[in-house]
Amino acid sequence: MIHFDNVTKVYANQNRPALDHVSVDVDKGEFVFLVGPSGSGKSTFLRLILKEERPNSGAIHVAGKDLARLSNFKVPHLRRRIGCVFQDFRLLPNKNVYENVAFALEVIGKPRRFIRKVVPEVVELVGLEGKAHRMPDELSGGEQQRVAMARAFVNRPMILLADEPTGNIDPATSIGIMKVLDRINRTGTTVVMATHDAAIVDSMRKRVVELEDGKIVRDQSRGVYGQAY
Amino acid sequence: MRANFIFSEVWIGLRRNLTMTIAVIVTVAIGMALLGVGLMINSQISGMKDSWFDKVEVSVFLCKKNDPFPQCKGSGGVDAQEQAALKATIEAMPQVERVEFEDAAKAYENFKAQNASNNVLISAIQVEDMPESFRVKLKNPDEYGAVIEGLQGAPGVSNVINQKEILEKFFGLLEKLRWAALTIAITLVFAAALLIGNTVRLSAYNRRRETGIMRLVGASNLYIQLPFVMEGVIAGLIGGVIAAVLLIVSKVFLFDSVQLYLGGTAQLSWETVASAISLTMIIGVLICVFASFVTLRRYLRV
Repeated sequence: MIHFDNVTKVYANQNRPALDHVSVDVDKGEFVFLVGPSGSGKSTFLRLILKEERPNSGAIHVAGKDLARLSNFKVPHLRRRIGCVFQDFRLLPNKNVYENVAFALEVIGKPRRFIRKVVPEVVELVGLEGKAHRMPDELSGGEQQRVAMARAFVNRPMILLADEPTGNIDPATSIGIMKVLDRINRTGTTVVMATHDAAIVDSMRKRVVELEDGKIVRDQSRGVYGQAY
Repeated sequence: MRANFIFSEVWIGLRRNLTMTIAVIVTVAIGMALLGVGLMINSQISGMKDSWFDKVEVSVFLCKKNDPFPQCKGSGGVDAQEQAALKATIEAMPQVERVEFEDAAKAYENFKAQNASNNVLISAIQVEDMPESFRVKLKNPDEYGAVIEGLQGAPGVSNVINQKEILEKFFGLLEKLRWAALTIAITLVFAAALLIGNTVRLSAYNRRRETGIMRLVGASNLYIQLPFVMEGVIAGLIGGVIAAVLLIVSKVFLFDSVQLYLGGTAQLSWETVASAISLTMIIGVLICVFASFVTLRRYLRV
C-alpha cells in the first residue's frame, strides 16, 4: 500500500537530511506506529506520502502509484484516497460537526443525497451520535479529534495518516481516540500514526517503525515504544 | 461541481472583504467608463469627420463699404467688375469643384437661423452689415493651401476663411480628450488589476483554513481556486454594469447634447454605445480573471 525505496529528503537551506535513505513497506490493512523524537523525520514521512513534498532521491509508491510520475493534476485524486488527522484538529470553527464532516465531501463534488446518507454514519462510528449540531468550541479536545477523524474517514480512504493525534489530549481520552482508529483500521483501512505517546504504543502492540535523525533504527511487528524514552 | 457551494463561498469572501470589494468595483467602473468614453469619442470623431468634411467650404468674403479690413480701406466696397473677375479666377482654379455666391440677404437669413434664440443680436445687426461671400467647394478639402494663397489679398477680398482649419482645431481638441480618457483608463485598469490582486490575496489569507482542508481532502485545484476567481469576476462585472450605466448616461446627456449644439450632424448610434459597453465589459472581466489567477498562483499553493 505504501512503499518507500531508498528515499532521501533534504529541505532547502538545511544540511542534514530529514529522511536519509529510508526503505519501508506498509501492507494493506496494516496499523503502523511511527515513533521517534521531534525532528526525526516522522512528519516528513507523512508529507511525502501525500506528495506535499518531493523526495530528493528514491521512489515512493502509494496505492500502486509511483508518486514521481503522478502529475500535479492528479495529486488531488491521490489525496482523496488518504485521510489525515492532526494534533491541532484543523476543524472549521464556523461550521458544526455535521457541516465539518460534510465539507470534505462537498469540496470533492459529492452529491448531496450521498452526503446526507454517509455523514451521520461516520459521526456515529466515531462516537459522536447526538452531537452532530454542536459547534467545535462546544466540544472537548477528544470530541474535536473525533470530528477530525470522521472527516478524514468519511470518504472511505484506503490509508489514514495520523500525525500525533493524541498530542493535545489527556491520556484517558486518548484511549477513546485509539479505539476509533482501531475501528477504522478494522474496516481494512491502512493506518500510519506518528506519535510520542509511549503508553499508547505499548498498549496497542502493533508494528512500530522508529526513526532517528532521518534513519530507520527499528522496524518491529507487535512492538513497544522503546526503553530509551 | 456544485454551483451553490461555490457561490456561497464567493458571497462569504465578498462580504468579508467588503471595503476592498467596493474599491475594486469603483475603480473598475471608472476605468471601464473612461475606456468606453474614449472609444465613443473615437467613433464620434470619425462620424463627424465623414459628415463635415463633405460639406466644408472655403469662404471668400468680399469688401463692403467702410469695411475695417486693411485691404478694403478706401475701396468703397467691391464693385461688379471685381466680383466677376474674382468669380472667374476661382472657377479657373483646378482644385475647385464649384462656387456659389452668397449675397447679404442670404447671409442674414443664415445668421438669423443660427442665432434664433438671441433676439438682441438679431435686432442689432442689419442686412447691410452682413458680408457678401463666395462659397468655394473644393474637390479635395485637404488641397486648400493654393486656393487660399491665390485669393488672400486679391482686389475686393476682405478675408478668406477655411472651415476645415476651424474644424481641425475642434477635432484636435476632441482627439486630446480621447487620449486623456484612454490614458486615465489604462492607469485605472492597472490600479484595478492591483486592487483585485490584493483582494484575492486577503481573501486567500482569510480562508487559509478552508483551503488547507480542501487541499488535504483532495479538492481539485479548480474547486479551490474558482471561488477566488469568481470574487474578482463578480466585482469586475458589477463595476462593468456601473460603467455601462455611466456610458449610457454620458451618451444621452453629453454626446447627444454636444451634437445638438453642433447641429446634430453625426449622432452617436446606440450600436456604438453597445459595442463600447460590451468591449469594456469583456476587457474588465478578462483583467479580473487574469489578476486573480496570477495572485492565486503566488499565494495559494495547491
